[in-house]
Amino acid sequence: MKPFLTFRLLIFLAIVTTSADSQQRFERSYTPQHPAHLTISNVNGSIHISAWDKKSILARANASSSVAIEDHVIGDEITIVTRRSFRPARADFVVSVPPDTSLTVKNIVGKIDVRGITGPVSIHSIDSDVQLTKVNSPSVDVVVTSGDIYFDGELRDGGSYSLQSMKGDLDVTLPSATSFNLNARALSENINLGSFLNSLSGPSRGPKGISGTYLRGGPRLTLTAFAGRILLHKK
Amino acid sequence: MVCSQCQELLSDYIDGALELGEQINIERHLSDCEPCRAVRDDLLQIVHFSHQLPVQSPSTALWPRINAGLAELQPSFWNRSLRWLQNLRTLNINFSVPQMIATAAAIAIVVSTGIILSRRDNGITPLSTAGITLSPSDPTPLSQADLQVLEKQISQLSESVEQRKDSWDPELRNAFERNLLYVNQSLAECRHQLSDHPGDDVSQELMLNAYREKIRLLEGFDKF
Repeated sequence: MKPFLTFRLLIFLAIVTTSADSQQRFERSYTPQHPAHLTISNVNGSIHISAWDKKSILARANASSSVAIEDHVIGDEITIVTRRSFRPARADFVVSVPPDTSLTVKNIVGKIDVRGITGPVSIHSIDSDVQLTKVNSPSVDVVVTSGDIYFDGELRDGGSYSLQSMKGDLDVTLPSATSFNLNARALSENINLGSFLNSLSGPSRGPKGISGTYLRGGPRLTLTAFAGRILLHKK
Repeated sequence: MVCSQCQELLSDYIDGALELGEQINIERHLSDCEPCRAVRDDLLQIVHFSHQLPVQSPSTALWPRINAGLAELQPSFWNRSLRWLQNLRTLNINFSVPQMIATAAAIAIVVSTGIILSRRDNGITPLSTAGITLSPSDPTPLSQADLQVLEKQISQLSESVEQRKDSWDPELRNAFERNLLYVNQSLAECRHQLSDHPGDDVSQELMLNAYREKIRLLEGFDKF
């Protein structure tokens, strides 16, 4: 019995040692002079970006040791790139930024979460649920092949907001007093505008889409779901 | 259509070299975009000036210097402008000193406006296929020629991806195959809709988006 226990202990130690070796930590701090443009390009892993009240940007990632993470800074353009590799590897980012940072996020697989941003946001991913909360950006562009997109924020006058998923729901929550021009397209499921529908003027309704102006119009809200629902809620 | 796309096509638009659909898209964009209208007016002024100038040849080193300078600044944006400038060169234009200064000032305005606007557009980069520029929101009807271009590009990318995917991590390979299936299902659904309602703008728009998405998916995995 004793040799068996020793053997199991050795196996356990080997696993612990291997897993400790297989992780690395990436941490960088940047101090842009002006509102920065941050680009994060990842392959596999989550990306969580939230606004804080500091003027610096703090980027942290836990990553497999086989993942190479590189960063480049040119003026206020900050780029963090996970070098592409199809070995089993993962990098999970947690980033804090000033609210007015402009964001470009690219990913293949992994959840993306953005909070409290007031700069332009562009997110392109393949297989990701995307959550945008407390966002008040002049433009938002989210394209995912599969995954739900959740937006809870405000629309600015003259802004452009485009959300598209091929396989997933679009769930949008807006303040009831927000004016916008809506262009919603759903190929195979329903569009549910909730109580926004009652006040939509000049609506054009077809089997696959609804367009119209809510209150005074202004911001362009474009929602496209191929195999998924479009849901609008009032806050 | 975004500003960078519009400005890429402006010189061809002024030359009348665009197809009707592109021309309509540009005019639609120009009607809403003051900065692009300013660039168009600058280009028109240069063209107008150039037709009135007396015949004098600039030094042979001038155009290569301008070309090299512009190419360094923004190669993708200036490709078409360079072609336009090269066409302009063949007109054998002659400049007096004040005219050269005026022309150089006009070029400087165009260059700086172009750089500012192309930087402003950097956040949202449209996909550019071999012959079709696809903007995120244009409901441009698809012609058979457009479809052939898109399908050819998809075929090339698919071939390249297929050759490599056996070496990928199984999790990501599964993600690729699953998402490709979703896109193909959506494309099939769009084709089905269009066969039932051939003139349906929404189905055409969705099919264009689905093609764009398939290219994006394949390009995303092609880089590994």
